[in-house]
Amino acid sequence: MLKGAYMLDLEVKALSFSLRGKEILQDISLSVKRGEFVGIIGPNGSGKSTLLKHVYRVQQPQRGEIVLLGRRLSDMTLAESAQEMAVVGQFHTVAFDFSVYDMVMMGRIPQQRHGGRITRQDKVAVERALQLVGMDAMAKRRFHSLSGGEQQRVVMARALAQEPRFLLLDEPTNHLDIRYQMQLLELAAGLGIGVLAVLHDLNLAAMYCKRLYVLKDGQLIAAGEPQKILTSKLVYQVYGVPCEILQGKQNRPVIVFGREALAI
Amino acid sequence: MKDINRKDMNDLRWLYWMAGIAGLFLTAGLAVSVGVVAIPETETMAVLASMLGLSAEMGIPQGHYDIIWELRMPRVILAALAGAGLALCGTVMQALVQNPLAEPYILGVASGASLGAVVVIMLGGSAFLAGMGVSAGAFAGAVAATVIVVLLAGREQSAAAVRLILAGAVVSALFSALANLVVYLANDAEGMRSAAFWTMGSLAGARWDNLWLPGMAVLAGGVFFALRLRELNAMLLGEETAITLGVDLTHERRKYLVLTALLTGIIVSACGIFGFVGLIVPHGVRMLWGADHRRVLPGVMLAGAIFLMLVDMLCRVLLPSGELPIGIVTALVGAPLFMRLLFRADGGLRC
Repeated sequence: MLKGAYMLDLEVKALSFSLRGKEILQDISLSVKRGEFVGIIGPNGSGKSTLLKHVYRVQQPQRGEIVLLGRRLSDMTLAESAQEMAVVGQFHTVAFDFSVYDMVMMGRIPQQRHGGRITRQDKVAVERALQLVGMDAMAKRRFHSLSGGEQQRVVMARALAQEPRFLLLDEPTNHLDIRYQMQLLELAAGLGIGVLAVLHDLNLAAMYCKRLYVLKDGQLIAAGEPQKILTSKLVYQVYGVPCEILQGKQNRPVIVFGREALAI
Repeated sequence: MKDINRKDMNDLRWLYWMAGIAGLFLTAGLAVSVGVVAIPETETMAVLASMLGLSAEMGIPQGHYDIIWELRMPRVILAALAGAGLALCGTVMQALVQNPLAEPYILGVASGASLGAVVVIMLGGSAFLAGMGVSAGAFAGAVAATVIVVLLAGREQSAAAVRLILAGAVVSALFSALANLVVYLANDAEGMRSAAFWTMGSLAGARWDNLWLPGMAVLAGGVFFALRLRELNAMLLGEETAITLGVDLTHERRKYLVLTALLTGIIVSACGIFGFVGLIVPHGVRMLWGADHRRVLPGVMLAGAIFLMLVDMLCRVLLPSGELPIGIVTALVGAPLFMRLLFRADGGLRC
């Protein structure tokens, strides 16, 4: 495929999904421009995760389509899309214990042939990924012996070892303290590839995302740059909590919740 | 410097495998030379050497020759095949249902097989099909149980693993009850005895001419899964993660299910039921070498073969008269070994 033959890393077109008569996603369209860091915010049950699951192909679209790096997902095999796109999901427990190194090596599965022979290239990718998340010293540790935060960094390393051209983050920072939350998002932002992230923390979202999509009850109710769309009115409308929006450096909105604000 | 270290480690791994393969042959040699009839090692060696075309044997009594070549050898080979096959099936089954408690019989193969065997024994059909009646009945029962489980588990993608386990438990319970009912109603002491013996497992039925089926099955299974190490690894991470790594589990799972059930059914019909090998060998190997199937798969096949050859050897020599059922000895030997691994100072269960 020619580089530059497409303008958008990801395009979701008129995606709808309903389950047992309940509309989970209604006519969602969104896009991630090349190399852009885009966030999705919204309350629990708003359909964020369902939306992302469509993109990483655990759910099949009922209506609408998804285009990844200029190709329709429905035209790609699972193996093909896994070569282009990596996912850092909400934390999953694993029933069997792998070493950290083996766990990250799993990220090479899409690039390997049947039988899964490990090539020199695989080893280089794994070691680089471990270094990027700062886990190279723990390569021989067992995954189950790590803390939740360390495990999440290993999962991030696995995604990096895939050497993806597009990255999906599904609430990736759940188990991390603020330092590692920022480190992980910094790492993702520094890759120079398109990123679509579902985030819970509005301040982090405002800090890292070029553009935000706001989801509520399966519908997109706002989209745009954080400083333009993040207003106390919107936050109240979406989450039902009052807040103050302060202005941080470089016009960045800083959202402050407070009990005193609840009285307003 | 770093590169040199890595090279050293790879060399070491290579040595491990060589040692494993050497161990396999040594164990086989040992197992062949031990038995109720004492035969000098030199004679054993001579018989083996002559069969390999190395030298003509001289002065070995025909009786000893027959014992070694016609009785012990096929039996040792069957032990190796059954051990390797069951350990392989256990490993795959654990990945398949993402549950460390899974073993080859979890989907009802064993109780299906014992129903089939018990029915044939009680109806006096042991002599049919050139003495293969019980095996055939067992295999038919195993297939029937598996088909029911797969149908019950259905096509639903979500929670497929849990549904499979539950379906297996239900079908196992039903088939065991039916088998017990047949035994109870038949009220045939002799039949009861042989049914009980059958369910405890024995390798005594091994002959050169009935080795080919388990042999082909284990070989085919080994090759099939050796080509799917990536998929097996991805399975251990769970359904969704596997999809993000490009592996579609629903598709793969069905294939693996049918293949492991067939392989287990063939082994069970050849030598009866003995649990534990398919459970502890995979865990033991994982504890030693980690969960990556690149190492686990060849590891369990080697370890399973060696383990069962040793256990069968014990079965033959522990009692001064007659032999012990293999199902009893696998557990008697396997359980303490497993406990030792489980409560190792530096770790324990990797699951």
